[in-house]
Amino acid sequence: MSLYGKSIWVFHLNTGSCNSCDIEILDVLTPYHDVERFGIKLVASPRHADALLLTGPITRESLPKVAEALMAVPEPKLVIAIGSCACGGGIWYDTYSTIGGLDELYRILREEYGVSEPPTVKVPGCPPKPESIIYGVALALGIVRQKVATAKVSAD
Amino acid sequence: MSRLSWVKTALEVGVVTKKYPYEDVEVPEGFRGLPEFDAVKCIGCTSCANVCTPDAIRVVEDVGSGVRRLEYRVGKCIFCGRCAEVCPVSAITISKEFELAYKGEVVHVIELRYARCSVCGKPFTTSKHLTHVEGKLSEVIRENVDLCPDCKRRVSINSIIQSAGAVR
Repeated sequence: MSLYGKSIWVFHLNTGSCNSCDIEILDVLTPYHDVERFGIKLVASPRHADALLLTGPITRESLPKVAEALMAVPEPKLVIAIGSCACGGGIWYDTYSTIGGLDELYRILREEYGVSEPPTVKVPGCPPKPESIIYGVALALGIVRQKVATAKVSAD
Repeated sequence: MSRLSWVKTALEVGVVTKKYPYEDVEVPEGFRGLPEFDAVKCIGCTSCANVCTPDAIRVVEDVGSGVRRLEYRVGKCIFCGRCAEVCPVSAITISKEFELAYKGEVVHVIELRYARCSVCGKPFTTSKHLTHVEGKLSEVIRENVDLCPDCKRRVSINSIIQSAGAVR
């Protein structure tokens, strides 16, 4: 992904998560995992960021703010969804107070704001290991290959 | 003086940064990663889908093509391991795979053929599930095992009525 240059700056956006994914993201920034060796830096404003680290199932209350933050990130932008809640709603997939994941957010962005879907990497886990987050970022940067793939087996 | 003591500690500890993703990382004992589904062992009883909290395992009853489809979505899974716990044939194993980041959508699908009711021809469960259940039942109740619930009810009620009539 040469589009993003050599280093990506990330903005951490909590959309109503339980904070365990956020703690894992902080873990990734500590000297033990140290993502600054890839040039990844946490910034305080989405306007300075290349990528959005999105955690949480996107509550209805946070939805307008999430849309605003996502639109504030300059192009070319990248979204890294951390945790099962952000990827597909997690255990909140059908609750009244959340919209249930990134796919629904993209649908709302497309239909109500007229914004097209940015390139996205999803990191499932509840919460994901710090290494899985690094793997996700490395996948976004093109350092590693995707391991999981869609499979269909017809038994008997 | 205290700041100099930090330097001493830092020098003693040395470099702690892990080299991942350029080298492998060890996964702790009991870590729950990606569940792996053995399509040969799977009987399609859907108990994994029943206990799945985030609806990651879904059952699609495709009567048109005559298959029951079990769909597992990696993005929805919370890796709780309940599916492996309840599986009656141990077809699900929890692996230590944690490098699960993906683009787009990743779905693992298992398709199992339906068994059809020998009276009305309606599909009601998978043939492998039927074979599994048949092996567990005693001789007495095994005879109506290939009937769908409705037909089974009718047949057994009829047989009860007949036997009662014979006594009277």
